[in-house]
Amino acid sequence: MKRLGKREELCIGCNQCEEACSKTFFKESLKEKSCIQIGNNAKGGYAIQVCNQCGVCIDICPIEALYRDKNGVVRVKKDICVGCFMCVGFCPEEAMRQHDDYIEPFKCIACGLCAKNCPSGAIFIEDVPVGEIEAFGETATAGEI
Amino acid sequence: MIQVNGKDFEWEEDLTVQKLLEKKRYTYPKIIVKVNDHLIPKEEYELTPIHDGDDVKVIHLLAGG
Amino acid sequence: MNVKEMLKEHKLLAEFRYELGQIERGYTNRSLYVNLSEHRIESKPVTEMMKEKFIGGKGFGLWYLWNAVTSETKWNDPENEIIISSGPLGGITQYPGAGKSLVVTLSPLTGLVIDSNVGGYFGPLLKFSGWDALEIQGKADKDVIIFIDGNEGTVRIEETPLEATDSHILGEQLTEMYAESEEDKRNISVVTAGSAGDHTLIGLLNFTFYDVRRKAVRLKQAGRGGIGTVFRDKKIKALVVRFRGVKGDLNHPADISKINKAGIKLHKEINKFDAVQNRMRQIGTANIIEVMNEYDLLPVHNYKFGSHPDADKIASNVFVEKYITQGLPDGCWYGCSLSCAKAADKFEIKTGPYKGQLVTVDGPEYENAAGLGANCGIFDPEYILESNFYCDTYGIDTISFGTITAFVMECYESGIINKEITGGLALYFGNADAAMELLHQMARGEGFGKIAGQGIRRMKKLFIEQYGADPDFLQDIGMEQKGLEYSEYLPKESLAQQGGYGLTNKGPQHDEAWLIFMDMVNNQIPTFEDKAEALHYFPMFRTWFGLNGLCKLPWNDIIPESNATADEPAKIPEHVQNYVDIFNGVTGKNIDKEELILQSERVYNFQRVFNIRMGHGKREDDKIPYRSAGPVTVEEYESRQERYDRQLIELLNYNPEGKATEEKIKVLRKYREEQYEKLVDAVYKRRGWTNNGIPKLETLQKLGIDFPEVVEVVKPYL
Repeated sequence: MKRLGKREELCIGCNQCEEACSKTFFKESLKEKSCIQIGNNAKGGYAIQVCNQCGVCIDICPIEALYRDKNGVVRVKKDICVGCFMCVGFCPEEAMRQHDDYIEPFKCIACGLCAKNCPSGAIFIEDVPVGEIEAFGETATAGEI
Repeated sequence: MIQVNGKDFEWEEDLTVQKLLEKKRYTYPKIIVKVNDHLIPKEEYELTPIHDGDDVKVIHLLAGG
Repeated sequence: MNVKEMLKEHKLLAEFRYELGQIERGYTNRSLYVNLSEHRIESKPVTEMMKEKFIGGKGFGLWYLWNAVTSETKWNDPENEIIISSGPLGGITQYPGAGKSLVVTLSPLTGLVIDSNVGGYFGPLLKFSGWDALEIQGKADKDVIIFIDGNEGTVRIEETPLEATDSHILGEQLTEMYAESEEDKRNISVVTAGSAGDHTLIGLLNFTFYDVRRKAVRLKQAGRGGIGTVFRDKKIKALVVRFRGVKGDLNHPADISKINKAGIKLHKEINKFDAVQNRMRQIGTANIIEVMNEYDLLPVHNYKFGSHPDADKIASNVFVEKYITQGLPDGCWYGCSLSCAKAADKFEIKTGPYKGQLVTVDGPEYENAAGLGANCGIFDPEYILESNFYCDTYGIDTISFGTITAFVMECYESGIINKEITGGLALYFGNADAAMELLHQMARGEGFGKIAGQGIRRMKKLFIEQYGADPDFLQDIGMEQKGLEYSEYLPKESLAQQGGYGLTNKGPQHDEAWLIFMDMVNNQIPTFEDKAEALHYFPMFRTWFGLNGLCKLPWNDIIPESNATADEPAKIPEHVQNYVDIFNGVTGKNIDKEELILQSERVYNFQRVFNIRMGHGKREDDKIPYRSAGPVTVEEYESRQERYDRQLIELLNYNPEGKATEEKIKVLRKYREEQYEKLVDAVYKRRGWTNNGIPKLETLQKLGIDFPEVVEVVKPYL
């Protein structure tokens, strides 16, 4: 399955990924509306917070508004979502996102537009067997040191 | 005599926090123990002695309300 | 028979069309009034006064009922009403526990107002359909349903000759009937009673929600006080609401950001701490069965004892490991991440009309394990689940049933009743078969079950008048007050909890205050004044949940990190602030935590005055059976002799050496009864009531509920 992979040690903190993301989905350049979030890690480098498609949220959702599509990407059915944000509170990566302008959550769908805009190769689209992620409840991405 | 949650309790030789909890049947897993206002971590219950006259608080975190 | 054929036989009695309208800041500003005698359906405005003084939910229910009845009205008079209302916060999806419905009526057990707080989707869907409250008056001639279509804007009263009466079937039938597809089922909620509502005074209401994963209709109960009996007396088979399009902003809140923020913060807290705190997501309220047993608080053998060696057979892990389906979302409204609404799936029924069926049992909750099980000396998890199932589907309050059965078992064992009187049922403690048959009899309206279904207060009278029972003994061991059966905690060693039960408005239910650990174990409220403060603050604070369509559990069944350093940890200050924030977020008002208590205090005092108006609500009504305060029998005293002897020495300077147990019981009793009276004095004082329990004029004035008709009620007693 497809997902956004990351190598945090390559991140230079330019925030272009955030801009690409929020512009694509919300027609606005605003960090709070980006599915990917760049922050700082404890070692003084950058932390990349983004969905790893683990699917924990699918089982948390009370009304089956979250599902894995045919490419293995976890997606939100906005038409039936009631906006309870339990998925936001229970995401192990804190990568399910919410903004007060919207009544449903939003998340990375591994479209890869941010990766195209990344100047350092810190983020990229990768292919991983879906069973691997679900079975190990994996939170670290392949390639991370 | 010691005080346990503000009430008198018979003191005995070699009393520890662990022994006191057993004697009082305080089995609830989520409790906070203070001896003379000093917080005792769980791993030190067995080693922490209670002396005659001590003021012990065993607060159950199932307070209700 | 399929549901289409049933639907064909429906006869339309009345139809009402309405404008859908708009919810503004948590209110639709109107209520739906249905008169079943006259087939009259109307829209009534919700006034600013109502919102200001009564907030919503139970407050609205009390106000409508106050205006509908007189001091002479009985529960089965046509003017008695059933009012269902959620409250201004009801239906928000972001904060756990915000989908409750509050049901208010005159109780057949107590003759007073009863209010019950219940999950399921009805209240929120009612509001989204355009109604802050549903007010039902009158009586139908034949069984009817009231159907509200919140998208079309229609309300119909229909005769329903063919549908089942029992809830687990009727809920499924009506969901199937009114949903247009499997997808649509989540948009339906049904309120039903059951066959026992026709024959007992302890009937309950089930509120449904459709569980999309189990593909099953789930039942949540408005259990206490016999509301289901009133429902059936009005010949209501069911209420059905359908509303499509639930979203997080339907309440049109003033500031959604405050709600989102508080909600997500609490979801994170629950995610992080629930597994190491109360395990509500794993086993719900049943997590405390073994804790109560360890601390001698689990009612055993009609509240004689607080623990039993066999209690491990019904400990929470037994249900977790063998019966409860894990990993499914079990919230009774959207957004409840605490998810305590557990269920045992594919449970095979062994007795009665549904023998052999594989059913989903909602539960067990703590009260059921304790009341159906331990209190009756039945330590069998399968009995607990099966009786839980039958109570729900027959529409019987599990708490009253458990406490009633425990009472008749003690009467049986002490020779007050016998097999001749019970029609052959050997109702000794531990006899699960006899208890189960008693339950089936209640549903059939037969035999001793019909008598037991009248509740403890009426049974006491009958046993005295017909079988020569000792009235004092029955008063001591019959665990009812105001006519309502006690819920399932043993309050003997906690004076504050004796008050927590005894000084309530509706009767001894622990939803006003649960102070046992704070008082008995932690000793955090040692003086009468401390206890009185707790018995002021907590009942007022908890009343507020019922004004707003909220559940109590997410308040203190999950504890935030900040509580470790909080000034008043028992209040859970961070969560109180969450409630202030979401109230202001929805309504656009600007209350603080003090105003929150005032809102409750108004309604609480109004309810007390309502009780006085109905001829009760005074000090004599707040007396408690001695079984709840101390050992009644020699057997009880001697089972905890060391404890009681020590108390005689330490508290009374009385030397128990060489004294007969009867003598010691008498001395201890005198002391404990005096303690209770002193507590009552202190609590009345703190609540601003006279020594007879009447709210003082200045209290009513301070709260702004000194309406002429309210003052008129209290005046003769001041």
